[in-house]
Amino acid sequence: MGFFGKLFKGPEIDQAKSDANAKKMRLLFNQVVEDGDSYRLIFGYTEDVSRFNYGFVHGSKTKIGNLIVGWNEDRQTIVAVPTVPDLSGCGEPTYYRRGEILKAYRNKYPTDAFVIYPDKRGYIAINAYDWLEDEKLYVYVSQEAELAAFTDFFMHRFATK
Amino acid sequence: MPLKEIGLMLLALVVIAAVGHLWFHTVEGLLEKIKGLLLRRPPQPWHPLPEEPEEEEKTDRGEGGGD
Repeated sequence: MGFFGKLFKGPEIDQAKSDANAKKMRLLFNQVVEDGDSYRLIFGYTEDVSRFNYGFVHGSKTKIGNLIVGWNEDRQTIVAVPTVPDLSGCGEPTYYRRGEILKAYRNKYPTDAFVIYPDKRGYIAINAYDWLEDEKLYVYVSQEAELAAFTDFFMHRFATK
Repeated sequence: MPLKEIGLMLLALVVIAAVGHLWFHTVEGLLEKIKGLLLRRPPQPWHPLPEEPEEEEKTDRGEGGGD
């Protein structure tokens, strides 16, 4: 490939790094979730956007929360485990069982997200992409096939009508 | 408009933006502290990444130690 071909090809995925992170995600997930191996995993994140307007200065501030998202098709359960971009640790898992949640749907606007309402009081909106390059903000993992499988599961077996 | 006036105008805008940001961070910081005091939550447990299981024992001990 010529110089210009490489120049316009765009960023390439470092598969070794992605595989290593996928392994770490599995280790962390299995550490906090019972029978973790029965869940398939993707990386997702939440966004908390706060807008401000102080006279001349206005804009928005976004907080990103990284998540290891596991799903078990037979149990129709999604588990979200908070983590950090370098996967040095994780928090406590939260379980969303289809039979117990209030509603779940895929949002298209303003962002493409998987939204779950466990009850009337709150909700979680999980954003997920095939790959995100910014490893300071997101977990560096390539997950095209897994994301397609999760989307299929969410849309056909988890989302409420 | 003379260059000096344009420069002063730009400088004034920079100062306004800087003061605005300072004001924003002060207010946000105070609000966060107040929220932290009012809505005290117990710290969430944090689990560090477990040590990876040791790789399979190398059968060839001489590997990489030729010198």
